[in-house]
Amino acid sequence: MKAKRFASAMRGLAAIMASVLVLSIVGTGIADSYRARLDDFLGTQSYVTITDADAARFVSDYATIDEMKAAARDIAIREGEEGTVIMKNDNNVLPLASGQTVALFGLAAYAPYPYTSGDHKAGNADAVDLVQALTDAGVQLNQTVLDFYQTNILNKHTEQVPNQWTGELETSTAYDHIYVASPGDMTTYQIYEVPPTEYVALGAPADWMSQVDKENTIGICVFARGAGEGNTYAPGSAVNYAGEETGEDPLALSEDELAVIDVAKETCSQVIVLLNTGNTMMIGDIAEGGEHEVDGIAYIGCLNDYQAIGVANVLTGQVNATGALPDTYVADNASIPAVMNFGGGYYADYEIVARDDDPRYPGVEIANTEAGSFGGSNTYNGGMYIVEAEGIYVGYKYYETRYYDSIVNPGSGASSSAGATQGSAWNYGDEVVYTFGHGLSYLPYTQTLRSVEVDRTPDGNITAVVDITNNSDQDGYFLAQLYVQQPYTDYDRQNNVEKSAVMFLNSGKVEVAAGATEQVTITVPTKYLASYDYTNAKTYILDDGDYYFTAAAGAHEAVNNILAAQGYTAADGMDAEAVGTALTWNLAEFDDSTFSVSNGTPVTNVADDADLNYWTGEDTVTYLSRQDWEGTYPINYNEVDIYLADSPRADEWIAELRGETYTIQTGNPAAEGVDSGLRFNSADIQYEQLSDINNEYWEQLVSSITIDEAVGAVIHGGSQTDTLTNVDNPVVIQNEGVSGFTATYTDETTGETYRFNVHSQTLMGSSFNPELAYEWGLVEGNSGLWLQRYHLWGTGLTQRRTPYNGRNYEYISEDPMLTNRIGYGILQGCADKGILNGPKHMGFNDQEHNRGGISAYMNEQKFRETDLRGFEGGLSDADGMAVMIAFNRIGATNASHHVGMLQTILRDEWGYTGLISTDMMNNMYYFNAESMVMAGITQVADFATEDNHISLGEGGVDATWPYISVESVSGDADLVNQARENLKYQLYTFANSAILNVSTERVNTWWDTALQALTYGSAALAAITGLAWIVLTVLPDKKKEEV
Amino acid sequence: MNSVKRKQPAGVWAALLAAILALVSVIVYQVNISSAGYFQNAAVTNQILYSVLAIIMLVVVVVLAQVKAAGAAGTVVELISGLLQIAVPVLLTLCLVNLIAARAEGLGFIYFSNADVLLEVQTPANLSSATGTIANMVLLGVAVLVSMVAAFFRTARKA
Repeated sequence: MKAKRFASAMRGLAAIMASVLVLSIVGTGIADSYRARLDDFLGTQSYVTITDADAARFVSDYATIDEMKAAARDIAIREGEEGTVIMKNDNNVLPLASGQTVALFGLAAYAPYPYTSGDHKAGNADAVDLVQALTDAGVQLNQTVLDFYQTNILNKHTEQVPNQWTGELETSTAYDHIYVASPGDMTTYQIYEVPPTEYVALGAPADWMSQVDKENTIGICVFARGAGEGNTYAPGSAVNYAGEETGEDPLALSEDELAVIDVAKETCSQVIVLLNTGNTMMIGDIAEGGEHEVDGIAYIGCLNDYQAIGVANVLTGQVNATGALPDTYVADNASIPAVMNFGGGYYADYEIVARDDDPRYPGVEIANTEAGSFGGSNTYNGGMYIVEAEGIYVGYKYYETRYYDSIVNPGSGASSSAGATQGSAWNYGDEVVYTFGHGLSYLPYTQTLRSVEVDRTPDGNITAVVDITNNSDQDGYFLAQLYVQQPYTDYDRQNNVEKSAVMFLNSGKVEVAAGATEQVTITVPTKYLASYDYTNAKTYILDDGDYYFTAAAGAHEAVNNILAAQGYTAADGMDAEAVGTALTWNLAEFDDSTFSVSNGTPVTNVADDADLNYWTGEDTVTYLSRQDWEGTYPINYNEVDIYLADSPRADEWIAELRGETYTIQTGNPAAEGVDSGLRFNSADIQYEQLSDINNEYWEQLVSSITIDEAVGAVIHGGSQTDTLTNVDNPVVIQNEGVSGFTATYTDETTGETYRFNVHSQTLMGSSFNPELAYEWGLVEGNSGLWLQRYHLWGTGLTQRRTPYNGRNYEYISEDPMLTNRIGYGILQGCADKGILNGPKHMGFNDQEHNRGGISAYMNEQKFRETDLRGFEGGLSDADGMAVMIAFNRIGATNASHHVGMLQTILRDEWGYTGLISTDMMNNMYYFNAESMVMAGITQVADFATEDNHISLGEGGVDATWPYISVESVSGDADLVNQARENLKYQLYTFANSAILNVSTERVNTWWDTALQALTYGSAALAAITGLAWIVLTVLPDKKKEEV
Repeated sequence: MNSVKRKQPAGVWAALLAAILALVSVIVYQVNISSAGYFQNAAVTNQILYSVLAIIMLVVVVVLAQVKAAGAAGTVVELISGLLQIAVPVLLTLCLVNLIAARAEGLGFIYFSNADVLLEVQTPANLSSATGTIANMVLLGVAVLVSMVAAFFRTARKA
């Protein structure tokens, strides 16, 4: 009997010990995930710093410079392969057969844009142009056409031209005839394509046409559109080859270009047009049904050193075409609602902002007129504005929603004449030539959404699994795109919440063997499913109802899939039957709480004053709404007389336009910085400091910065970060540009030079591949390590609001989510190599025209769901460490003064701890120093060096803002402390980058040891007691009694 | 009925109590993640699976207790029943730890955020959701303890 009791006791103990074992194993995992907090709480140290140089935290993945160069080249080629978009492919014109003869027409065929080295083209010695790439791919080029284009028309040579920034003469590539590479600032744009009528006059053989074997030759015409900083296309500004203003759109194919196409059609059996640009063009003339219809059209973006190889690989079918359009191609840009408000105009009484009694500048007459994009005149530059009345309806979100409503809700006026350019009634098929996400695959395939899971928690993800079936007899690479339709409810109608009928979420690519099916798992944070309700809930909401998810080859196919899933057919007006299915996720109840708090910060309105109606006090602006397409279609608000003086908030408005977002206070003395003995070095910065910006070290460190340097280092932060006296931080040089580091690497052993800015933003966008973006980010980061440069303005994530922005070639897409996911990849890749890659230009840099002062008015739904969303992926979801703020105003407030955007959204809601830079500080009255400090700017880009003081001007005042001095800011503790706070973020970021390059090693704390002891002890006891129980149970009863 | 009650060993009653507690905790968990509030749809991986498995094991323990077997068969039954008695607290402990790990941040957010956030987040629905989660944890904790206690008692009736 005793034995039986003993057996029961052993069993009970075994149960307890086994439970403790499970508890310790699972608990160890949990404790590990909360390690930093436990260390803080218990005062333990889990990491120690390694000072051995060989144990650096960030090291290059490449052992030699040749490996590094090869990696950069490989990514560039893949951008060409994955970014080339086959838009039209009739009569099997593509892919080109091996040995196919091709006649190349168009200036850009021989000098693709960009053709000069600089920020956007590396210009390495081994660069490959389109002619070389096609030849290497086995294409036979018609020699006659090639010769007269290259030798007689283009005649490549070099010229001495002044550098845009320094004015120094530099040797640059030039041609006798070439397209205009910079469209200028809303001026006329000459489309300098040489028409065929000029060929012979310029040296082509008189019988050149007879030297083209028409039956066996395919014509490829390549046309480019230039771009550039400070450049903005003006609608209707085209000038032809002869120099005559045509009144046509500069982004439409000109008569001269169409003539080139016609002569190609005349001399060749089939014709392909390649679009070499970052600006979407009007190509209805050559698309299906166009007067100059061609067999094939492909988008090739802007070509850097090696992308042409990838383009040729696609054109010759060596790889499958997987690129997709990052923008919508329309028949007429005038049909784009955003174009209704573009360029800008003056307020009716803008002069009242000007003054000669600004207390900051006594006796100085300060005008309120436009200042140049590159400076040159100091004015308030607060006279001009645009109203972004289109709201969220940019690109396909407008066209596809209106198409959807024309079928589902004809009463919305979707088919009315408002916004129609091709007839008296709006019709999708007439207005849209190629939609967002469109791209033809050579190999037939299907993409089917197998499953979708929505984790509706603040940090949850949407996880979709897409089946890709390769229906061809060749192995290939394929693209899957995930779209969603959110419910559009009565609540939305009552509260002016707009919803696109379809929204791109994310995409992925996969290799699939012939005839096989592979799965692609696509994830995206659930928060992007929410919409911003700026009128009622004043936070993010999820409407109750069905959310339709679908996988589709473009936005239009996605809409048709959703329509079909909702029971609609061609009989209801659909222009095509669905080719795929949709899955639904249902939300039973309206949710205004899940995403109402972000990173511990309540999410609510911060940009009410970005709405022009806030200032006018009446419903001056009507925002585009799918409730009433006709009644809300935007008018041009520059044709409405807006009087500042009539505003019920006139004083406040005018003050904001004068840059008085913040005024320096008095009577609140700031503490002078005193050397605390702490330094910015690997001795003082350990794991605790690296892992936690709230560690007291940082506060102590920045408290030691003098008033002079604290404010000075912020307002004179570019183009390098200078050393602070009591901190001893290293000098950090800022680098351009969006295609990668422009700095030249010199191999010390061979003397050979190389530039790593070989990337193409345009083709990255059309690749639709966030994984490729991440790989480029890694390469970009690695190149920084090789160059020993760590701070880069290395991508552009501004939304392409219209096709006319001269910097669209630096950006990704019209779609915030595609931009968001590509930005995530690039910034995470760089962060993983310790490189600060700051995307440009957060905050609606929607046009270059008067970028340094124009007010962009909008409602808060647009504010949060368009341009900012493009940056959120890299700066919130990824570990992005830097950002450059837009030049323009948001509402009346300089974007770099915008506390709501920078402090509330970027810092608090997104939890961003990186540095924040302005764009070029070229206007002292527009950029207000104290307002930038209070908004959280960590470095003002003033392009000087060794100037981090506010005492370097005449008489010991600031050299730029003379009303600022140590004396004047010493009475404002809030200002000085905010400057130190801003520097804290900056220094913390430097510490966590390759600038400090400190690595740490995990060590066991006492609680690690205790947990291990508990695990091993409980395991042993569980085994012993378990075994004892078994023995006592199995032993014969008599023996048990003996025991 | 009374005679049945009198004849059941203490281990059976403890197992039954643990099963009922585990069942109630499953119901509370299910209601918690189905109701409006902070933890709506916030399922914990394998929570239901482990809980239901534990309940089934406890039921099997009770059923085996009704089997009168002698000799080798009796030993086998005792071993199986004993193994299940050991496994049940392990599974329930796993459920409890996973639940606590999954809910700790959320509860901290609801009860210990700064004042601004508390105003935003302490909605009646979220507070009700948090209370449900805490009740779930308490029930599971008690179930763990009862199942541990049960493991100390024989379940086989005297032959």
